[in-house]
Amino acid sequence: MPLDALDDLPDDTVLTLFANGDASAARVLTLRFTPRVLAHAYRLLGDRDEAEDVAQEAMMRLWRIAPEWRQGEAKVTTWLYRVVANLCADRLRRRRGVALDSVPEPVDDAPGADDELMRQARADALQQALDALPARQRQAVVLRHIEGFSNPDIAEIMEIGVEAVESLTARGKRALAAALAGRREELGFGDDG
Amino acid sequence: MMDDDKMNHGLDGFFDAARKTAPAPSAELLARVLDDAQATQAAAGQVAMASAVVTPRPTRLRQLVDLLGGWPAMAGLATAGVAGLWLGISPPAALTGLSLAGFGEADPLLVSMISGDELDLLALEEG
Repeated sequence: MPLDALDDLPDDTVLTLFANGDASAARVLTLRFTPRVLAHAYRLLGDRDEAEDVAQEAMMRLWRIAPEWRQGEAKVTTWLYRVVANLCADRLRRRRGVALDSVPEPVDDAPGADDELMRQARADALQQALDALPARQRQAVVLRHIEGFSNPDIAEIMEIGVEAVESLTARGKRALAAALAGRREELGFGDDG
Repeated sequence: MMDDDKMNHGLDGFFDAARKTAPAPSAELLARVLDDAQATQAAAGQVAMASAVVTPRPTRLRQLVDLLGGWPAMAGLATAGVAGLWLGISPPAALTGLSLAGFGEADPLLVSMISGDELDLLALEEG
């Protein structure tokens, strides 16, 4: 089937086509999900190389589950983000005890007026603050405020209640705000936020 | 996002920067992922072909069993057959008496399907 014809199809339909051996479906799913999976893994892990490994493994699990996928029962994205979170949690558990000097240094030289560099500096600062959060708070904040999921979707991904999601995001944001408070000025934010 | 920046403790600028600087997958990563996908499809195709080859054609016995309604029906037939055989070899006394009751007592071994009177009438009609 041509790539264009698949672009507008729902995720689970394309996944069924993939399970039936459609080569175009493999390409569409690879391009549709790999960027999202990689970005999410990076935000949970703060490490590009590890995030790539997680992304490849998560996509491998998607390929394997495809023949058993039942259309309409679950969202592919929800399932995939849950897989990514579990793979990241495994890696974070293995990381415990890693010395602090392995954590990336904060960005000291705030870029000046260059918007692109400033944006990257802000993103890096946020990532460092995210890395310091407890894993569940980090996951909830990333899903809500960066990935843009609704609270019910996050509850499904994290397999908890909506109230627990709200609590995790609220605590996570307070901690992030405290961690970033001292860097707001260097990152181009005025006192008014 | 849906919450205003004050609700987000002034973090919206940071979240926005994170969204706009999401790491993009390298061409190598995309190639690896696609390789995995194609290998998975190829392996699934081989398994499907192998199972199609291995599946034997149904035997005549299998076809007969299917024709009669499968093994549950065969079990019923077998039970009825064994019971019939048993009754033929060693009929219970009560059953023997019962079988002769409707056919008169003159000659228990002779069973006439058409009575003698009716045979006479048939002979008259045919001339």
